[in-house]
Amino acid sequence: MSLRSDNRRWGSVARFFHWIMALAIIGNGIFGLLMDEASGPMQKIKWLALHKSIGLTVLALFLLRVLWRWVDRRPPDEPGPRWQQLAAHGVHGVLYLLIAAIPLSGWWFNSVAGKPLQWFKLFNLPALAAKNTDISDTVFAVHEYLFWFLVAVLVVHVGAALKHHVFDKDNVLRRMLPFGRPKNRL
Amino acid sequence: MKPLFSALLALSLITPALATAADYAVQPAASTLGFAGTFQGAGFNGTFGKWTAAISYDTAHLAASKFDVNVDLASAKTGDKDRDTALPGADFFNIAKFPQAHFVTTNFRQVGAQVVADGNLTLHGVTKPVTLNVSFKPQGKSAVLDVTGTIKRLDFGVGGGDYADTSVIAADVKITAHLQLAAK
Repeated sequence: MSLRSDNRRWGSVARFFHWIMALAIIGNGIFGLLMDEASGPMQKIKWLALHKSIGLTVLALFLLRVLWRWVDRRPPDEPGPRWQQLAAHGVHGVLYLLIAAIPLSGWWFNSVAGKPLQWFKLFNLPALAAKNTDISDTVFAVHEYLFWFLVAVLVVHVGAALKHHVFDKDNVLRRMLPFGRPKNRL
Repeated sequence: MKPLFSALLALSLITPALATAADYAVQPAASTLGFAGTFQGAGFNGTFGKWTAAISYDTAHLAASKFDVNVDLASAKTGDKDRDTALPGADFFNIAKFPQAHFVTTNFRQVGAQVVADGNLTLHGVTKPVTLNVSFKPQGKSAVLDVTGTIKRLDFGVGGGDYADTSVIAADVKITAHLQLAAK
């Protein structure tokens, strides 16, 4: 189990970032959709505060992950058609963009709505933009549409990983699994 | 009349407590009554647009001084739509039942260089003693009066129930009044 990625699999740091962020992003996405189910205004305030804190955590993890990705090598592409390799890299690029853009658009929405931004009740972060409630509905729509775009891209990402695992029975998903062992290459 | 005048003069000299403080009229356009709280770690400021204050004050006769303030709670504004919608509601001021807050002084004290006013604040149907710092600066026939103090919102049941969580809405609310006064 090495921290760094090698020829056969992603290192434990890369796998940690992948799965902890997958959990936080999917969980926070569902949580965000459930906001209106809060039993009262105070519960909604608390839920929103938690949603924002998790989103900020994703943003921080994203920065660390990009930094690590820059330091770490990545495993070479698994054998396969060139177009699939290019498509996979394209999808990964879009995922990286969305992972940053969704929390940032939430932060932007929070700023134009003039709300405080606190990370797990520990410290406050500044506004990204001046308060402007005229555009807050539009900025919220940006936040939400980016999320639905992410859902669509995730369908492709997860679908492709499962296709490789279940039908091709290759190493593409195995080398990213948290505890799985990659097959020995013949 | 002369003996009576002398008697009154003598009486006023030996019983300074009978001396009356000067009455002042508040100049509303130049005066503000504000409050400041903390929500999710961020401070916010609010003002009351409608209030009246009867001010009698004399630096030399603090015992004869008196503040009597009525505040129309529906006039509270903090610049945040959600908060300004919530404040008059049953969970906070409950203006349907308690439209006004009332503060009246009971005593003035000199604490070092600072003048302190003790009084009773009635808010949300609860009356509690409140202490305020007073700064009075005479300017000819007019004066500037600055008053500050801190109250605990939960002492008055403002923001109870779910809203009692002081890690979200801080317990302390700072009161600030800046009054431009003209002698009556």
